[in-house]
Formats: sequence, structure tokens, C-alpha cells
Amino acid sequence: MSPKTTLRPLCAAIASAVIVGFPAVTTANEPELSQTEVLTGLENPWDMAFLPDGTMFYTERCLGLSVRLPDGEVEHLLGMEGTEEYATTADDLVCEGQAGMNGVAIDPDFDENRTVYVYSASNMSEPRTNRVLRMTVNSDFTQVSDRTDIVEDIPYKPAATDHPFGDAGAHNGGRIRFSPEDGYLYVTTGDNHNSEIPQSPKLLGGKVLRIDQDGKAAEGNESPEGFDPRIYTYGHRNVQGITFHPTTGQPIVTEHGPWHSDEINALVNGGNSGWDPKPNMAGRGDCPDDYCGYEPNQTEGMDPKERAAYMPVTDTETYPDAMQPAWQNDGLSQGISSAEFLVGEQWGDWDGRLVVGFMGIGFGGTPVGQRINLIDIAEDGLSVNDVAKMPVPMGAARFRSLVLGPEGDLYTAVDEGSIYRITPE
Amino acid sequence: MNTSLFIVIAAALAMGSATGQAADKSAGEALFADACAQCHGPNGKGMASFPSLSGRDAEYITSRLETYRAGEKVGSNSFLMIPNATDLSDDDIANLAAFIAESAE
Repeated sequence: MSPKTTLRPLCAAIASAVIVGFPAVTTANEPELSQTEVLTGLENPWDMAFLPDGTMFYTERCLGLSVRLPDGEVEHLLGMEGTEEYATTADDLVCEGQAGMNGVAIDPDFDENRTVYVYSASNMSEPRTNRVLRMTVNSDFTQVSDRTDIVEDIPYKPAATDHPFGDAGAHNGGRIRFSPEDGYLYVTTGDNHNSEIPQSPKLLGGKVLRIDQDGKAAEGNESPEGFDPRIYTYGHRNVQGITFHPTTGQPIVTEHGPWHSDEINALVNGGNSGWDPKPNMAGRGDCPDDYCGYEPNQTEGMDPKERAAYMPVTDTETYPDAMQPAWQNDGLSQGISSAEFLVGEQWGDWDGRLVVGFMGIGFGGTPVGQRINLIDIAEDGLSVNDVAKMPVPMGAARFRSLVLGPEGDLYTAVDEGSIYRITPE
Repeated sequence: MNTSLFIVIAAALAMGSATGQAADKSAGEALFADACAQCHGPNGKGMASFPSLSGRDAEYITSRLETYRAGEKVGSNSFLMIPNATDLSDDDIANLAAFIAESAE
């Protein structure tokens, strides 16, 4: 049999598929990516926020808040305890373990009020807390003033415990974002390795708060009766990312799983995310330092599925009405971090994709997984249609923060000490 | 044995033992890139909750890795370090220690 005889019917079949529009032949419109190192030599850069002209505020976890102007000049605005060369130093702002200065956000009315916000650990209260600071930036971006702590009582882990990553300052949350839909500030917090916190109606850890520019509860927060009115959702473990669907405004969060099941969740106003690591419930006995978050075996490897069955991130048996995760990272915990949506025709087929960073962590043979994922998530955020790895030029890194710049490029801060701009070609 | 030859050999052995002369820093660099850099950073300066290795001498690195290899806890990241060190040979530890002591920033 000649090759021609074999190929002819196949060619005919392909031609038919194209003519009638079958999905057998598709043309991918995926951009090539280039990168620019915007800043390097940073100390644990944690978050960024942009003005329309490209001005970029950024935080370094143990140093403070700085701003990079469009001409590349950098001004150091608010330093933490022990820092030098900042226009202002606030000695109450402290850094320990995972805590320090974390998220940064720009007021939606910045043109009128020149206001920015940061989330930081502080020793102004005893014990220490995390706070949301509101400040005014001067006209030439060299100073901040009028500091007002609009939230003062987000729990901070005060001392080390017998857990993985068990130092003080752990599970500290820290991402802050204004919703383009409702204009409120969303604040994500962590459980501090304290099993009482996530389901507590009053303690603000393990929550997503929704507040106004003065720190007051947003109108319409629907957390259960008796809850602090600032609480929008509760029952979280350690929320590290929050973003909003570009067409529906649906808030979507990412949170770390306990040696299994990093989660992406669409938030439901007043909803419970189902994390409750208390001992002596849900089939569990005593746990190290009264926190079962890494049980049944917190120091040695085991099948993540067994872990998930014993200590689920979303415990639907105890809380049948809990918010259901859209995605659980194939059952793995790999340090999921920040989330953002790609928006703009320049992204081709990726326009509208959710991008999620992973810092990477392996344990007991699980893959480390440092990467950025491209996720095709449903408009309601309740399900995922497709997940792919973004082919970023810098390769593997601890991707801490992802933010879309004003020109539509994707910026990422990596723990290695750089902020990159990723441009679709 | 010729006395002078004996002295030369003895001196060489003593020097090798004292300075870790046999360590292969390039092998240590490859191992570091594969097993350490993801947490301690490409230059060992530390990231997030993972400590800097800057200024640590070979003796310190060797001691810590041998402790972790023995399954003994030192600090809150022992749960990560113990499984990482379990399969290291004496040569691996010597190579890593030599590379880190010279190269960590």
C-alpha cells in the first residue's frame, strides 16, 4: 500500500472538519511571553499596587513600604523597626516568621485623597496584632503621613508551637484588595495555628473582612448573628490571595492547604469555608498544641488523600453548607499564593484566565511545584474548566504576588528578591 | 618506610582531614541547586521562613546536616530538613558544606 493511498482519506476528513467547524482542528492563540526585571535586590518583596501612570507601590516584608515612580526612581516611604533610609520609620511595625508588612492597596479615589493602605504586624498592642494602616502620600511621592490604623485587632501568632512552620507570626494572611465592583476593601487573614480562631465569631483570624476606608463594616455583610460585622466570610485557614472576576465582580480567594489541597474558593457573603482544626471533634483526638491542622501525621510523609480524609480543608460533614472549593490543586499543598485575572486582547486565548502563583513546597515525596497556573474558571467561580502551567521566561521561583499593571502586563514578585514584568507578545 | 616519605604522607593526611580538602565544590553547587535553592534561595541568602546560610562555615553546615541526617530536630523547619538530609552521604555533606561556606551571600 502506498503512503498516498493511506493519507488521502485522512486529508479529506480533516478538510471536512474544518469546513463544518468541528473542533478537530483548532488554532491556539497563546502569546509568547517576554520579561523585564523591574526591581531586584529586594528583601522578600510581598505585594504591589499600581497607579494608572505605572507608579508602583510595593512592600518588603521586613523593611516596609516603597514606591517606584514611572522614571524608575524609588522612594522609601514607611520603614519598619530597625530600618534606615526610609522617610518615616514606625518602630511598632515588626517582622517575624511569615508576618511583617504584607499587602498594599491604593484607594479607588486616590486622585482626590492620595490614600494608600498596608497590612502589617505591630507591637503597639500587647499581645501583638496585625493592623491595616491608612496613609496619605504627598504630591511628589517622597513621604507618607496621617497614619490611621483602620483595623487594629487582627490576631497575630505570638509564640512558637509544635507544628510545621511553627514559629511566631505564622499563618498570617495579609492580602488586601479593593473590589472594583462594590468599592470595599477586602482583607484576608490567617488562623495563627490556633484552632479556636477560624470558626470564632469575634476573632478576626481565618476570615475575609469587608470594610470601608475607615475600617467600618461594609454595608450588607451577612455573617451570622453574633459575628463581628466586619466579617464577610469565615472558616478559612490562611488566605493568601484575593481577586475579583473581571465581568461579574465575584471575589475569589486562594488559601494554603495543610500538606494537602490548596484551595481556590468563590466567596459567598456570610459563608463558612469549613476549616475547623479543633481537637476532639470530627473523629479526631488530641493534637499537638491543640491544633490538628497537619494531622494525622505532621512530621512525616503520607498520602495526601489520607490527610484530606482525616483533616479536610473544607469539612462538609461538620458544616454541610460550607462554601465548596472550585479547585483543590489535585490534592496537593504547594504554597498557593496570590491570584489575579488576565484582562485584555493582548493575552489572546488567556484573556479572562485566572492566574495563580505557587511558591512551591514538597513534603514526603510530593512535588514542589513552583509555577504560575493559568486557570479557566467559570464566571461564578464555582468550577474550573482547564488548568495549565504558564510558560514564564524566568522559570521556577517562589511566586509571592501577581498583579496586573495598568498597561495590562502581569507583574510578579518572587521571594528571591525581584519584581518582574511579564509581557505578552 | 623511608622516614621523609612517611612524614610527607602523614602531613598530607592530616591536612586533608583538617581542611576537608577532598570536598568537591562543583558537586556541592549542583546538589545545592537541586535540593536547597528552592527554599534558601539561589545564593543561599534565605527567603520567607527559610534562613540565610550566609556566613556559615563548613563546620557548622556539616554539623547541622549530620544532625538532621540522624533524625534529630533543630528548629521549626526540622520537618523539612530531616527528610532532605536522610539520604546524604558523607561526601554529599562535605561538598555542600564547602560550597555553602564559600558561596552563600
